[in-house]
Amino acid sequence: MRGEIRQIHPRRGGGSPGDPTPRRLAAIMAADIVGYSRLMNTDEEGTHARLKRILRELVEPTISEHHGRMVKTTGDGFIAIFDSPVEAVRCGIVIQQSMVGRNAALPAQQALLYRIGVNLGDVIMDANDVFGDGVNVAVRLEGIANPGQVYISGGVYEQIKHKLVCGYQSLGDRQVKNITDPVRVYRVLPDPAAFMRAQKRREIAFVVLACIALLAVAAGLWYTMLPGRNLIGAQPSAPAAPASPKPSETAAAIAPTMQPTAPPQAEAPASPDAATPSPATRQPASPPPASPSVKEPEMAKLAGGNFAMGSTDDPSEKPIHQVTIKPFAMSKFPVTVREWNECAAANACEFTALGDENAPVTNVSWSDTKQYLAWLAQVTHKPYRLPSEAEWEYAARGGTQTKYWWGDQLQPGMANCKNCVAVASTAAESPAKVGSFKPNSFGLYDMGGGVDQWVEDCWHRNYQGAPTDGAPWMDGDCVSHVIRSGSWKNDASYVRPSNRDHYDTGVRYPTHGFRIALSP
Amino acid sequence: MKLTRLLMLSAMLATASSFAAFAQGTPAPKDAVLYFIWPLDGATLKGPFWCRFGLRNMGVTHAGDTFPNSGHHHLLIDVNEPLDTNEPIPQDKSHLHFGAGQTETRLELPPGKHTLQLVLGDAKHFPFNPPLVSKKITITVK
Repeated sequence: MRGEIRQIHPRRGGGSPGDPTPRRLAAIMAADIVGYSRLMNTDEEGTHARLKRILRELVEPTISEHHGRMVKTTGDGFIAIFDSPVEAVRCGIVIQQSMVGRNAALPAQQALLYRIGVNLGDVIMDANDVFGDGVNVAVRLEGIANPGQVYISGGVYEQIKHKLVCGYQSLGDRQVKNITDPVRVYRVLPDPAAFMRAQKRREIAFVVLACIALLAVAAGLWYTMLPGRNLIGAQPSAPAAPASPKPSETAAAIAPTMQPTAPPQAEAPASPDAATPSPATRQPASPPPASPSVKEPEMAKLAGGNFAMGSTDDPSEKPIHQVTIKPFAMSKFPVTVREWNECAAANACEFTALGDENAPVTNVSWSDTKQYLAWLAQVTHKPYRLPSEAEWEYAARGGTQTKYWWGDQLQPGMANCKNCVAVASTAAESPAKVGSFKPNSFGLYDMGGGVDQWVEDCWHRNYQGAPTDGAPWMDGDCVSHVIRSGSWKNDASYVRPSNRDHYDTGVRYPTHGFRIALSP
Repeated sequence: MKLTRLLMLSAMLATASSFAAFAQGTPAPKDAVLYFIWPLDGATLKGPFWCRFGLRNMGVTHAGDTFPNSGHHHLLIDVNEPLDTNEPIPQDKSHLHFGAGQTETRLELPPGKHTLQLVLGDAKHFPFNPPLVSKKITITVK
């Protein structure tokens, strides 16, 4: 209101003499700190100092880098304007992502989180302030935003939807305080993977429920049938029973058994029972039919126990800490191209792998592995998952505490890495077939070298505050996940079982693969 | 302000002219410039610092996206080997990838002299043709 009066009587001396008209179109960013009063209550000076630092080191440079201008700071927030909505939203994303990194090092009660709203509107400029409906809407958007997120109005969305590579989730029309017309609100999902997750959440919930139902029924059925059979063979054969009228299909799918050590093939001892399927088997027929002929990756059972995780060789591997691992199973080999492409053939994995069938699958992102695991869990009715970082290192060490799993000295022929092999193969486009090198004492192949292997954990730059129960470490900066093992392109230091690195969650790279785990 | 508009205009023009973008030899506009906004060449820095990447006349995108005239950043720390343009940019502790479209990173380097260089990668992490690299800067960490 003050602004409008000023517009009618613009004062020549005041304001900025360079701006002839105080009205202009601008992208307005409003931001504030979540729970500022609470933070000030617990640690007034500390909170104030940290907030000042963030403004000075992060917010102000980021705004000017995106060609924006800080209009004013309030106690716990700020308002900035930008010429371009694209730059405004980009700036918002950079601020939020940088805050995640800053908060990672702080205890949870000290974390500062911004809520950010961006709106496009006609505003009245003043030397030290900005006025108009457009500003109010930006402030309201910020008010409804989740901590750590950027909400934008429909107007901004229309301007940026084809220009900025990120996901947008529509939250529909919202009535905001003191604004007559409802405002269309979008949530910005800077990581396209997050967008996919948001979209698929319902779908996944349904599939998970269906899987649980299937699993329960399959377990019941298995109980009633021949006991004493090997677990790997028995479980998939149980749901096979109703499908047995099509034996040709089953045979065709089993045929390519090219792996070094083939697991027992699922034949059809259950087929005599198939003539009289119990009523229970019909229930879970609604989700996509499970293809029972999938050959499961071969698993090695590990007893679990205590081990010292980490090393002093690299800052990221410190501090060395004791971890207790529960019994679990790990796949003997990284997932192969052939295994992956069964998922692709079932249209459950978007990515189709190229290369030798028995080579490890490469060029898969952490998000891609989740598609494979969801599919494998569905067709086998077993909750296959990625190993945790602790489980991976425990398995890679094979009970040793030496630099490499075979000792402290590099030996030729133990791992597929650069300068590790007598016959140089580093120029190769792809890694050696799985199982080309010696297994460790747990019977696991390619734990070090070959392909980098994704694990479940979010990346943390050292083990300060790491869990000690072998569970994946999920909190904090989860825009990147941990990779282990090193690849055929890396040198010997990457083959060490304690070596760790990380990569962006949704991004594919030609040396990245994975192996799978299963809890008993 | 004028400079800003000029930059935006040229960026728009650059994105308007389209090329087919595939794995190797993805063309980059001749006037594209890759540079460090921060730190400056020869700077002496204390402890962890923010490293900010600048790109002019091209766009930053997610790795895997084949939009013309766009790529993603790679930061090479103390790398002396020449860049192999026929291979994807390596991924290890001295070749940091920013495939999610990041334009900055927090670096924590041991005390001493270090070199930093940016290389822009295409959808499949290959350098562009001609390779788009920044000046190799030298910094000292106290």
